Amino acid sequence: MVRRTMVHVYNSHPFASQQIVPTEQEPGLVCCGGDALFAVSAGGCKIEAYQLREEGCPLICRFATMGAVRSVVHSRVGDYLVTIEEKNQATYLRAYTNWRYQAAEKTRIGVRLLGHFLRSASTLRGDPKEQMEIIEIPLFELPQCMACCPLTGDLLVGCSKNLVLFSLRQQTLSEHLSVLDFERFLILHVPSWTPSQVALCAGYVALQAELEVLVVKLEHLQPNQEPQEGQGHALIPEDMVTLADCQDSEAKAEVGPQDVDDFIMFPRHQEMLGEQAKACGVSVSLEWTGLESETRKDMGVTYVLYRRFAPDFFQGCSVEDTCLHSLQLYPMFTSQQEGGKEEPTEPACVFCFFSLPNIGYMYSLKNAVELISAYQYPEKALQAVLTAHFLHVITKTTLQCFSVRCSAVAARVEDPYIDTTMKACPPYAMEVCALRIQLFIGLKALCQNRNHIVLLTAADVESKEETERPVRRSLEPKDFKTLTGFFQAVGIEPSSNTTLENLLSRSFLSRKASFVKPKEPSEKSHGWNLYVVNTMPTLTLYGEMVEYSKKYALSDPFSLSCVHLLSEAHLLLRASLLDPDLDPTERSLIQQAFRESCAQLGDCFSRLDKRDCHLALPYYKMSGLSVTEVIERNKPATDSALEYGKGFIFFLKHSLYEESMEELSEETADTVLNIFSMAEPAQLPHVVCSPFMQNANPAFALTHLGRLEASSAPSVTLTLTKAALALRIGNMDLYKQQMDRHAEMLQVYGFIEEPKLLLQGRGKDVVPTALAWYLRDTQDGLLVAATVALHENNKVKLDEADLFFQELCKDGREPKGCPQLLVDFWESLLVASSQDTVIQELLFRLTSVYIDRITHQDHLGMKSLKTAEDLINSCSHYGVLYPWLSILTPVQFNITQDHQEDLQKLQSLLCGPTLDVSSILPLLEQLSDADDAGLSVHVLCATKLGHHESSIEQLLDRCPQAIIPFANHELQNDKMPLWWQKLFPELCKRTRAAEGENTVLLSALKETLVVVAMELNPLEFLDLLPDDGTAHFFLPHLLECSQRNLMI
Amino acid sequence: MASKSSLLKVILLGDGGVGKSSLMNRYVTNKFDTHLFHTIGVEFLNKDVEVDGHMVTLQIWDTAGQERFRSLRTPFYRGSDCCLLTFSVDDSQSFLNLGNWRKEFIYYADVKEPETFPFVVLGNKLDVTERQVSTEEAQQWCQENGNYSYYETSAKDATNVASAFEEAVRRVLAMEDRAEHLIPTDTVNLHRKPRSNTTCC
Repeated sequence: MVRRTMVHVYNSHPFASQQIVPTEQEPGLVCCGGDALFAVSAGGCKIEAYQLREEGCPLICRFATMGAVRSVVHSRVGDYLVTIEEKNQATYLRAYTNWRYQAAEKTRIGVRLLGHFLRSASTLRGDPKEQMEIIEIPLFELPQCMACCPLTGDLLVGCSKNLVLFSLRQQTLSEHLSVLDFERFLILHVPSWTPSQVALCAGYVALQAELEVLVVKLEHLQPNQEPQEGQGHALIPEDMVTLADCQDSEAKAEVGPQDVDDFIMFPRHQEMLGEQAKACGVSVSLEWTGLESETRKDMGVTYVLYRRFAPDFFQGCSVEDTCLHSLQLYPMFTSQQEGGKEEPTEPACVFCFFSLPNIGYMYSLKNAVELISAYQYPEKALQAVLTAHFLHVITKTTLQCFSVRCSAVAARVEDPYIDTTMKACPPYAMEVCALRIQLFIGLKALCQNRNHIVLLTAADVESKEETERPVRRSLEPKDFKTLTGFFQAVGIEPSSNTTLENLLSRSFLSRKASFVKPKEPSEKSHGWNLYVVNTMPTLTLYGEMVEYSKKYALSDPFSLSCVHLLSEAHLLLRASLLDPDLDPTERSLIQQAFRESCAQLGDCFSRLDKRDCHLALPYYKMSGLSVTEVIERNKPATDSALEYGKGFIFFLKHSLYEESMEELSEETADTVLNIFSMAEPAQLPHVVCSPFMQNANPAFALTHLGRLEASSAPSVTLTLTKAALALRIGNMDLYKQQMDRHAEMLQVYGFIEEPKLLLQGRGKDVVPTALAWYLRDTQDGLLVAATVALHENNKVKLDEADLFFQELCKDGREPKGCPQLLVDFWESLLVASSQDTVIQELLFRLTSVYIDRITHQDHLGMKSLKTAEDLINSCSHYGVLYPWLSILTPVQFNITQDHQEDLQKLQSLLCGPTLDVSSILPLLEQLSDADDAGLSVHVLCATKLGHHESSIEQLLDRCPQAIIPFANHELQNDKMPLWWQKLFPELCKRTRAAEGENTVLLSALKETLVVVAMELNPLEFLDLLPDDGTAHFFLPHLLECSQRNLMI
Repeated sequence: MASKSSLLKVILLGDGGVGKSSLMNRYVTNKFDTHLFHTIGVEFLNKDVEVDGHMVTLQIWDTAGQERFRSLRTPFYRGSDCCLLTFSVDDSQSFLNLGNWRKEFIYYADVKEPETFPFVVLGNKLDVTERQVSTEEAQQWCQENGNYSYYETSAKDATNVASAFEEAVRRVLAMEDRAEHLIPTDTVNLHRKPRSNTTCC
């Protein structure tokens, strides 16, 4: 379960300067926060606060506590201190608020109980009193440990049987004065589990026992998950059962299959992540105690992480030494979030750190719960503290600074484009490293605030006698400190040198004649110091790491250590950029360094031939360098050995093909040709076609292509590329020669392979190439076919093809409307396409074009590629023309050939199976039915829509000779009755009106009678006959009708 | 600095307006302000003093004497090492109330042996001309209630203030079980738990 990874150790300088805090008495406990350092001294009854940000750490104030402080914590939110104190064998929990008003020591300090907020205070005293106030927080159980939420200032107190959560109430009375109070709002019952440390952050609660860590989250539970569980516990208060069930399930888990053959009741090494942790065996139940409990009823606890360690697991440490320490929850915000300012928003990441003597663990808790890093310490660690930039660890004799992966995790939460070809970031699983191991004497305690690390050092107290030793005069430690500091400043560690150490201790302690110093070499010098070590500004450390990496690169350009160091440096910058408090000037400097860092990582990966070489692309993109600059950076030192890394070629290829770079100068473009000639000659045709290579010397490119042609299999794309180049230099013989080498069909394949031969995208524009222009005039069929093929192979979208042809035809030879070439494209695409949405779109567009042309009749001289007949024969969407149409609009019926074609195409579409007539009705409005062409379309549409009766009337009115072919074709099946219900009466009426003179009508009537006589029985037929009919006219039909009926 | 120092909690009780805050201010800062506000709740000040060769940190607790602040002050009686019962010599009612203050203190401080607990009685405002409580009356009360020391003080004139507080210290130090109240300075354990001197891994 433990990842054993190698730990790189670098000797960089994350620590800048060291100051000695002017404490007069030996501090017992220290803690930091709000740019202040708090040292508890005078037997735990006095707290001194020092200003961390000022040179020399001056004293801010000193105030007395009410008892002997056993532990102390500062909260950034609310700027209060909370202590566990003892007095006369009783233990108290107290919060010290507004402590900065204690600058004058003899100021009175207010004391009150939790919740006894003096609302009337201001009215009684006039102005609000700027006074320090201590809030006494009574507890039922003995407090063991406590923690404050860095985002809300809420206070979590770990007691012997439970955890109590207090929410911070803050009321601002004036600009400088606010009153704090706490509300006890939740008790977490954790039976038979006494935490040694707790942590609280953004609803996450972490607790640590000797060899166990549990992290849970308080959150709103989905109400729909609850009811089933709740039903069985009607008698138990709801908040007591939330997790009571877990014990059952956990019991089952414990006796899982893996445990069957060992029944040893020995704690095993365990790691349970997320939901899994529910089975850990530690039950947590909630009891709401606050005033607003009701609103929190839907809140519950979810398990996040559980780890348990076996006591004998760690070699080199005795069992009693093996216990966890330094539990910490660390939030991180992304740069878009307003982290921890006015209203605390949910942090993007929350990390959990805890440590054993020889190994530390850092987990990411949000999104997926995951072990991010395991830190192997070279020696036993006493305490560790995690920040966004570093993990600081103290051992007895060293301060160690390790790299962290917080920013690598946060970057991925912030930017979904990371780990794509757009952006990159070093992986968070990357091995951590020790940036520095700094020697110190007798380290005891560590705390941290911003860029300040506070270290308490003290000599080991060996015997009781020494314990009783009087406090040294205050002068002595100062001299001692000065000298020790001096040695350290010049790089000598007194502890590393026994003689020096003896000298140091003797020269100052010799004045005390009574004190005899034992001569054991392991003995540390007696004394204590409180140091503030400032970490190096990010930019400086970044610079150093970059320099450091160059040393590695010099000895081995492919060094992984170089990549590792640069990645560490990169992550440092990212961590700073994620800091919401970063000042804008500093931010812009770091952003500049960040781009530089991306460029360096790009350089590194471009040199590599390993699997990560593709990372060159995103890093270079993020660097903001132009491709020309990148090419320049990658130029080999000597021209003789032209060698380019795989990563660089990958970058170059993508940049050339992705249409997102600048146009290269002739020189650079020719260099690119050279590079590909060497590295990947097969790419040359594509490279040449890239729009950014326009300035490349065509003759030079032809030479390269010729060389490629000679050495590889024939390629249509290559031939077409050569043709395009020939066209550019005006060598028409060469052009013709290349274009004649392959059949048009094969050439289409060539274009599919390299669409840039025809069109190049520039943002939203589509730019036809010179070859496309030339084909328009010489081989428009090939151009259309190629574009159709590009569309069908998803190389261009319909809109892009439209733009392409519009661009090609915009020289104005066609008066207006849709260029013929585009219509040709649509017609060809309609033949080829199988996508329904495309087909519907094309049908609509073509119908619109046809109607437009028929209406305006101004479409002159442009012949289409496909005739109506071609389309009817080759395309299923164009139907065979109905016979009656040829009577209505006979071929070459008083309109020009072109319009005849358009009319036939339109009619054919209407006769076809696919076109939905109702969708084109709005278009029909502009088409007049005054002539037969228009009439034919209107009748056709009406008939398609089932309006046969109106079609019959229209035809009888306008073109009666077409009525019988129409009726024969259209009045069938369910429309059959229209013969006698509509057509026959109409004909009778019209014949009568024409007084029998109209022969067309008469013959139509006869034809109709034949059909009607066939379909009806004699009685029905008789009923139908008009009263005024001529008997001899109708009689033969009646007879036929009767005879047919008799036969049946 | 002396080798040992201890933190002694001394609490000032008495009716509102008898001058508890003034006594504390006079003692700690050596100042007197006639227009001091009423104390609300509880406040304290620390003062390092040497009494008979003993270095002690005196933590003087000033309380609100008015009845309406009772709930604010009583929780803080616990852990007191000495109680200064204060009245004003020009206000007989404040003197008559001493017994109630004593009772309130013993009850809330949860004093195990009230008979031996060190009380010191202060009659303040000695500077005023019209006394209502005579020295004899006060001394008699002290005698009858547990043989308490009695000091007549004036915070305004700084009369007897230091002696009264020093007497409080002496009273505490004189308690037979002195060690219980002491927290030695330089034996504070720096660690959460004692560590054996094993070498690290």
